[in-house]
Amino acid sequence: MAKQKFIDAVRGKRTASAPWVPYAGMHCAFVINEPADKYLQDPEILARGLVETAKKYKADGIPLIFDLSIEAHALGCELKWWPDNVPSVTTHPCSDKTPSEAGLQMPTKDSGRWPVIFEAARIAKPQLDELDCGLIGGLCGPLTLASHLAGVRIFTDVIKNPKFAAEVCEFAGRVGAISAQLYAEMGCDVIAIIDPVASQIRSATFQQFVTPNVEPAINAINGAGKTSTFFICGDATKVLKDVCELNTHGFAIDEQLNMNFVRDLAKEHGKGFGGNLKLTLALSLGLLSPREDAIVSLSAGGHIGYTFAPG
Amino acid sequence: MKPIMPSTLNLGKTCIKENGVMAEKIQIDVLTLDSVQCAACGYMMESIAALPDDIQDMIQYSEWSIKNKEGIGKFMELKGKVLPSICIQGDLVFESIIPQYEELIDEMAKRAPDEAVRNRLVSLRDEGFDFAKIQENLKKAGSGLKTKAG
Repeated sequence: MAKQKFIDAVRGKRTASAPWVPYAGMHCAFVINEPADKYLQDPEILARGLVETAKKYKADGIPLIFDLSIEAHALGCELKWWPDNVPSVTTHPCSDKTPSEAGLQMPTKDSGRWPVIFEAARIAKPQLDELDCGLIGGLCGPLTLASHLAGVRIFTDVIKNPKFAAEVCEFAGRVGAISAQLYAEMGCDVIAIIDPVASQIRSATFQQFVTPNVEPAINAINGAGKTSTFFICGDATKVLKDVCELNTHGFAIDEQLNMNFVRDLAKEHGKGFGGNLKLTLALSLGLLSPREDAIVSLSAGGHIGYTFAPG
Repeated sequence: MKPIMPSTLNLGKTCIKENGVMAEKIQIDVLTLDSVQCAACGYMMESIAALPDDIQDMIQYSEWSIKNKEGIGKFMELKGKVLPSICIQGDLVFESIIPQYEELIDEMAKRAPDEAVRNRLVSLRDEGFDFAKIQENLKKAGSGLKTKAG
């Protein structure tokens, strides 16, 4: 395992070989045969699953937790828990009012599940260091958090009610900066701003509502001397140039993008890039050979700034 | 006060309009990875589940997760290319774009089974999303209930 190789790749540097980072998420619970809802709320179980998974897959880096409801939960959104998946956000406090009208306060390290995450990191970090495995903190990006706070109306408001949308996204961006500080304090080596729904908007909307509101988190990460990256899901082709223009060291994408296109754009902008292994088509459904998919990804990714990871 | 639209009687795949004539419901299929795990998929589903009651009466919708065989079959049948996508009356309409309320109404109106349904949809263009029954509507659509692989 090679933590520094992973950090170098995210920073767009040449590496002797591509680092391997399984975004294990709830699979860590599966590895230790625990239900997802229990796993996500018990720091000892969480740390055990994380370390066992890092060992099992010989990971160069691994996310501490991959759950985009943490910030929303800390702000008072209600959750529906599942035994085999991350929780879903079921209530939207800003569905008919702004964050200030809803009385939302900035979270602290004592809000929601942050104490659980802090404790899990305290247990797992030394063990991962011993394995030479990097720890990734993943925070909920501004548009995804704005969706959690305001519900699906946010995608209409960005056009019809931009003042309201800007207020919710700006609030979400400030919450993201706090999450970034917390993950830095936990000792995470790489901190990812994860904004899956940012692929579901047009480029102009991304530039207006996402770009300015990831800045606070990026500044917090880079300012703490950590490595920053931006994770986006879905078919992000239409906004990938905007992603490259963010001030992060790198970015990661999912299986729906063309790897050659991603690699060339990353290289043009001097960014690290990762992802794209066919999580659904190969690893989940078996419609493609995972081995052949891995070979194709490794060939396309190359040795400059590429992290071998699922999409 | 917003105008009260005449109610429709829900009869499975058809609804009775105010003039007593039967009309086919508009079929909406949401192709997802998994609306629980994937936030983009979740909000695609929510964009349909948050349509107001009067529109809920005129539509029939389901989540098709690619994590199960039925979902893969539907993805192939509808010639899906990316996830998530919203299909209206069999047409891939919103591919990796979570629609605005008015965009949804306009695309449904274009594909309405008849003039009366189209006019009713257009008359509801200023109504906006309604969050009161989202969870109930998602449950009716089977959202998140068939997302396991296999």
